[in-house]
Amino acid sequence: MDEKLINAENLSLLVSDLLNEKHLVICQDEKAVGWKSINDAGKLVINNAGVPSNISYKEFILPKTEPIFFFKNEKENFNLVEKDPADQKMIFIGAKPCDARSIEIMSKVFNWDYKDKFFNKRAENSIVIGVACSYQDEFCFCTSVGLSPVTEKGSDIFLIPLNEENYALRIVTDKGKEFIKSYEKYFSDGNTGASKAVLEKINIPAKKFDTLKVKEWITNNFENKLFDEAGSICIGCGQCAFACPVCHCFDIIDEECSYTCGRRMKNWDACQFGQFTLHSSGHNPRNNQSKRYRQRIAHKFKYYHDKFEEILCTGCGRCSRGCPVGIDIAKVAEEINLSANQA
Amino acid sequence: MCSTNIYKPELMEIKDIIDETADTKTFRLQFKDNEAAKNFKFRAGQFGEYSVFGEGESTFCIASSPTRSQFIECSFKQVGKVTSSLRKLSIGDTIGFRGPYGNYFPVEEMKGKNVLFIAGGIGLAPVRCIIWNVLDLRTEFKDITIVYGARSFSDLVYKRELKEWKERKDIKTVVTVDPGGEVPDWDGEIGFVPSIVEKTAPGSENTIAIICGPPIMIKFTIPVLQKLGFKDENIITTLENRMKCGVGKCGRCNVGNVYVCKDGPVFSYAQIKELPQEY
Repeated sequence: MDEKLINAENLSLLVSDLLNEKHLVICQDEKAVGWKSINDAGKLVINNAGVPSNISYKEFILPKTEPIFFFKNEKENFNLVEKDPADQKMIFIGAKPCDARSIEIMSKVFNWDYKDKFFNKRAENSIVIGVACSYQDEFCFCTSVGLSPVTEKGSDIFLIPLNEENYALRIVTDKGKEFIKSYEKYFSDGNTGASKAVLEKINIPAKKFDTLKVKEWITNNFENKLFDEAGSICIGCGQCAFACPVCHCFDIIDEECSYTCGRRMKNWDACQFGQFTLHSSGHNPRNNQSKRYRQRIAHKFKYYHDKFEEILCTGCGRCSRGCPVGIDIAKVAEEINLSANQA
Repeated sequence: MCSTNIYKPELMEIKDIIDETADTKTFRLQFKDNEAAKNFKFRAGQFGEYSVFGEGESTFCIASSPTRSQFIECSFKQVGKVTSSLRKLSIGDTIGFRGPYGNYFPVEEMKGKNVLFIAGGIGLAPVRCIIWNVLDLRTEFKDITIVYGARSFSDLVYKRELKEWKERKDIKTVVTVDPGGEVPDWDGEIGFVPSIVEKTAPGSENTIAIICGPPIMIKFTIPVLQKLGFKDENIITTLENRMKCGVGKCGRCNVGNVYVCKDGPVFSYAQIKELPQEY
């Protein structure tokens, strides 16, 4: 296995180099609210042992709001002007396995048939430096969706903290290999024994549910009171979708800047909002919160899997941790699993 | 391919506007860009995203036939923000268009068969597209019947074409209005679409039925068709769901795992029966 070592000092020098080269270095903020791009190597945070940030770094790949083109109406001349996303490398440092997988999972929907160049450009420019996770709380369920605290998949480079000062580092993808090559002077050859010992000590939580059973149950139980239980308390705030590393649904709206110009925007949207599917006639196929909650669960565990053979969930637990009314997606899935077993 | 902005529309000029009813208009549109016009191909049943810049996009079918490719037409009823703005536009104005998107009516499989078209209200727009498609290739189909109904005489769309279809000897056209919706010299039927279908429809033998209109009309017409012996796979309709992207990304038009924008909007009744009740 291709493994290297880096110490904290060299990691800091590496980040300084990246910043000097005008790359974006993105890590979790100190208060674990979200992710930010830093301007000083001293501000690097690697939060492998703390609670996941309230929201993921999805917004750097799929911004909360972004213009898809500008329009100008000047006398006889009508013009559409495009602005591509900045061609800037983004290095995400310290992505736990439940974050690191997000780009790969979302890229399926943004590339079947029609390709979304806004997403793709940013995804191509991303380098994900993941980290083995030693945090776990009652909301985490990565092992239920095929990941684990030590999953390298999704990362280009995977860090394993050996102690306060040193990281072992595994090269996962060609992109990661290229990256390491460019900054070789900061890395020394690795010692797999030490990293293995660290990984073995990490507790791998037990699975809470079986996604295939959940999927099968949803297929056969489209109408079920289980969805009403969550639906009846859900306030439709959309926190779950916004915090989620893989929820990708969006809206397209126009903003007028003046009488003669404006822009068309692609904005985050959420299936928990009543207007999401509201027809202009007044008809709404998902006209209550239970149906909207069913959509959320079914999209994650069934529809996305039917289409792309991926579960639209990384088990990070953000939606549950942040839910103002205490809906826990893993508990709902557990309950479904239980019903499936009893059937 | 990767550098294409899939959300950026082509510009089209409004060449003609027809007032269909008090709240429904038809636009005849032409691409401003010659290349775009040359490359544009579509099939009956496909839809587009039409935009008024500054107001947003709205989804409707292409209402003209692919056999007449110099222009495209769309018909829309004023209901929301975008359609209200579209309504205010004049000949010569510019709108945006993305498309064609979605699947299409099975014209090839319909060849050599009888076709029964059933439409209600503005639901004639998608059906009109395939009616002209079929009429322009008339010899390739057997008997053609059109049953069209609206609440009242003033709600009937494409009146000039209804007249033309009625006059043609090679098709049978029945137009009906709901009781009370007729005018003094009304020469069509009076009654709801399902009962008029029951009265006037040809046999189901070797016949494909295409039906578009308000959900309530479809709900009561399908049992009539089934009674006439139509198999579910020979009853073809369209689903309309709210859309934004039109290309299977934005996540709102799905009915179960079926994306109306990609897997539809055209479905057989046999397919619709398999879908969860969420449309």
